[in-house]
Amino acid sequence: MTTDLTLKIGGEAGQGIQTIGTLLGEVCHGAGLFTFSVDDFESRIRGGHNFNLLRISDAPLTAMGNRIDILVAIDQKTLALNRENLSDTAVCILNSSAREESTPSTLHLPVAALAKEAGNVITANTVAAGAALAIMGAPFSLLKAVLMERFSAKGDRIVDLNVTAAQMGYDAAQGIRLTKTLDWNGKKGDRTLMTGAKAAALGAIASDCRFFSFYPMSPATGIISNVVPFSKTLPLVVEQAEDEIAAVTMALGASFAGARSLTTTSGGGFCLMTEALGHAAISETPLVIINAQRPGPATGMATRTAQADLLFAIQASQDDFPRFVFAPSTPGATFELTKKAFTLGEKYQVPVILLMDQYLTTTRTTQEPFPDLAEPGTFIITQDDMDAPETYKRYQFTESGVSPRALPCMGNALVRVLGNEHDEAGHITEDPEIRVRMMDKRNAKLAAMKAEMQRPVLAHPESKTLLVCWGSPGGVVQEAGERLRDQGFDLGWMVFEELWPMDGEQIKTMIENKTLILVEQNSTAQLGKLIAQETGIKSTLSILKYDGRPFFPDYIMDKAKEIIA
Amino acid sequence: MTTIETFDNDFENKWCPGCGNFPILLAMKQAFADQGLSPRDILLVSGIGQAGKTPHFLHCNMLHALHGRALPAATGAKIANSDLNIIVNSGDGDCYGEGGNHFLSAIRRNIDITLIVHNNMVYGLTKGQASPTTVMGMPTPIQPGGTMSSPFNPLTLALTQGAGFVARGFSGKTVQLAQLIAQAMAHKGFSMIDVLQPCVSFNRLNTLRWYKERVYDLENTDHDTTSLAMAMERSHEFEEKIPLGILFQKETPTFHDRVEHLSGPPLISHDYDRDAVAKALF
Repeated sequence: MTTDLTLKIGGEAGQGIQTIGTLLGEVCHGAGLFTFSVDDFESRIRGGHNFNLLRISDAPLTAMGNRIDILVAIDQKTLALNRENLSDTAVCILNSSAREESTPSTLHLPVAALAKEAGNVITANTVAAGAALAIMGAPFSLLKAVLMERFSAKGDRIVDLNVTAAQMGYDAAQGIRLTKTLDWNGKKGDRTLMTGAKAAALGAIASDCRFFSFYPMSPATGIISNVVPFSKTLPLVVEQAEDEIAAVTMALGASFAGARSLTTTSGGGFCLMTEALGHAAISETPLVIINAQRPGPATGMATRTAQADLLFAIQASQDDFPRFVFAPSTPGATFELTKKAFTLGEKYQVPVILLMDQYLTTTRTTQEPFPDLAEPGTFIITQDDMDAPETYKRYQFTESGVSPRALPCMGNALVRVLGNEHDEAGHITEDPEIRVRMMDKRNAKLAAMKAEMQRPVLAHPESKTLLVCWGSPGGVVQEAGERLRDQGFDLGWMVFEELWPMDGEQIKTMIENKTLILVEQNSTAQLGKLIAQETGIKSTLSILKYDGRPFFPDYIMDKAKEIIA
Repeated sequence: MTTIETFDNDFENKWCPGCGNFPILLAMKQAFADQGLSPRDILLVSGIGQAGKTPHFLHCNMLHALHGRALPAATGAKIANSDLNIIVNSGDGDCYGEGGNHFLSAIRRNIDITLIVHNNMVYGLTKGQASPTTVMGMPTPIQPGGTMSSPFNPLTLALTQGAGFVARGFSGKTVQLAQLIAQAMAHKGFSMIDVLQPCVSFNRLNTLRWYKERVYDLENTDHDTTSLAMAMERSHEFEEKIPLGILFQKETPTFHDRVEHLSGPPLISHDYDRDAVAKALF
C-alpha cells in the first residue's frame, strides 16, 4: 500500500510561495520519496493569489494530487479558496498574527513573528516549511541538511538563521500530526528533481547545441535560464535578441554556419518566428524551435497553460514543407525528444518544433538518471568528402531529397543558401520544371521522416474505449486511466508525443473500431481533427479544458464517466 | 592573387540597365581583390530588394535572408564562426524599414561585420513606392500628393547609437567606394556604409546628376574622423551638399570581445567533449 499526500502552499506573489514548496520538495526528495509539484502564479510580481502544489509519495508519480492533505495558507484568501478541496484528514497551517488556539487539524502559526524572533523576518518561509515538515512527521535533521546545503554559499550566519527559524516552525507544530505516514529513511540515490524547462535545456546541451537565442516570454524563458549556468564551463553562447524575429533568424544564421542552435518562445513569439520557419524549410537549414504554449490568441493568458498550437505548429508559415513536431509528456521525455529533435533536424535539414507548455516547463518531478550521453554525430560534409569541391551544389537533387550539406567558407565548395525558390546551385529560379522538382525533392524526405517516428504509447490496446491525448497531459491521463480501470471501467489510453509527420496508416491500425475520447487542453480537440485528417476516423467525444489550468486526474475521471455512462 | 574577374559569375543579372547597383557590385569585387581575398573567404548576407540580389551576381558564399533580416542572420553566422568575413548587402527599405530594429541592435552589439546599404531612396523591386529615406513630398504611384513622413537619417542615427564606423559612399565614385569597403572590412567591429545610388526606373528626383551636383569628399576638408561632434554635423548635410567618405571611426570592444567563448577560437571549432558535458549536466 503506497502513501500519497498533497500539500498546497498559497499566498500572494512576493510572499515566497515557491520557496516553501522547493524546500519541502527537496527534503522529501532527499529522503528517497517521489515528488510531483507545479507552480500556479499570476502575471504579476506582487499581490494576487499564487500557489505551489506538491504531491509526495513512496511510489513514482505522473500527475498532481487533487485532495489537499496539508494546506499552508500564507494569506487569508488561501483557506477560503481551498476549503472545498481539503481531504477529510487535512491539516491547515494558517498564518496568524494573533496567538490563536491550535487544534489537531489547524495550526495557527505566527509566521512573521516567529521569523523575527529567529532573527530576521525574511526567514518566514523557512518557519512555514519547518511547521509543514513537522506535521508530515519528517525528522528535523533532514530539513537542517537541506538548509545547510542551500544557504552554505551565503555563510554560517545565514545558515544558522534559517536553521533557527526552521526549528521554531517545527517546534510550533509539535503535537499536530497527519494520519498518513511516510518512510523518511530512504535515499534518493542518483535520482534528481527535474522540471520540463531544465530537461529541455539539458537535452539541447547534450545534443551539442552551441547557440541559444531568445526573446523573454513566459513560459519559455525558464528553458534559457536553465542553460545560462552552463555557459561558464561549456562552449555555448546565449543571446537575448531584440525580438523573436531576430532570435529565430540568428539561430538560423548560426545553424547555417555550423553551430547547432535553439530558439525558445511561446505562441505569440512563435507567430513572429513563422517567417524564418519557412526560410529554414526552403533553405534546408536545421532549426530547433521550442514553443512553450500558453492560452491565446494574442497575449491570451501569459502565465497559464494550454495546448492549442498543435495545428498551427504543423501548418505554420506559407506553402507546404516537411517538418517534425514533437510534444513530450514529461520532463524525462523532454530530454529525450530534445535530443531527437536536434539529430533529426540535422539529418533531414528541416525545422523541428517542440511543443511544450506552461504546465510541463514548470512541473518538477523525480527523475531517474538519464542514460549515458552518445556522441551527437555529424551530418555535415567537408571538402575532403568531395571529389570536386568547385562543383559543389548545395541543393543537389538526390533520391532521398537530402542534399549533402557543407558549411560556408570552409574550402573551395561555395555554399549558397536562400529563401527564394532556387536551382541546385542555389540560384534564384522561376523555371516551372525546376520549381516542381525542388518542391518534390524537399517533400521526398517525408517517407523517411515518417519512419523515424515512434508510435504513440497505447495502454490496454484490447479495450474498446481509449482516452487519447498528446503532450503534457499524458501522465494525468495515465493516472486517470489506471484509477478508472481500478474502478472497473474497461478503457485504455493513448499518448502521442511524436506528432508530425503522422503515419496515418499506422495510427489507423491502432484506433480502428474503437471509441476515442480526446483529452486535450484546447477548445476544438485539435489532435482529433488531425487524426481524422490522416486516418479518416472522426471522433466526436472529447474532454477539453481551455481555462488555462492544467488537468487533474479526478477531472478527467469525472468527465470520462459521464461520457461512458 | 585575385582580380575583379575572380568574383564574376555567370548568373544572369536582372537589374535595370544603368542601375546604381552595378558600380556598387564592381566596387565590392575591387575591394575583395585589393585585399587578396578569394571567393571561398567571403560570405555575403543579404535581405530582400534589388540590393538583396547582389550576392547572386558575385562568386562567393551566400546567405540570402528574408526581408529586413540580413543583420540577425549575419550575426548568428558570425557568432557560430568568428573566422567568417561577412559583408551584408541591404537596401534602404530592407535595412531602415523592415529591419530597423535589427539595425539598431547590430550597432549596439558592435558585431564585427560590414553593412553596405544600397540607398536609392525609393522601393525599386516593388515598383516605386516611398522608402524610409524618400525625400518628403516626393510623389510616388501610391503617394501621388507626395510622401508625408520625414526621411530617415541613417548616419545620424548610427552615430547617436555609438556605431564605430560610419561612412557614406556614392555609386558614381567606385574607386572611392572600393576603398571605403576595404576600410570598413578592416575595421574591427560593426561598420556601415550608406551608399547613395540613383534608381533609373523609379526615382526621378535623386538622379545621378542630382547627386553629382552635391557630393564632395570629406578627405579634402579639415574633417576629423575621430570627432563625433563634427561627424554629427556632417551627417545632417544633404539638401545642398553631401559629404562622402568616413564620417566617424572609433574601435571599441566588439561583441566577440565581450562575450565568453567568442573571443577565442570559433564557436564551431570546439570538439564535442562528452565527458565534460556529462560532468556538467549530471
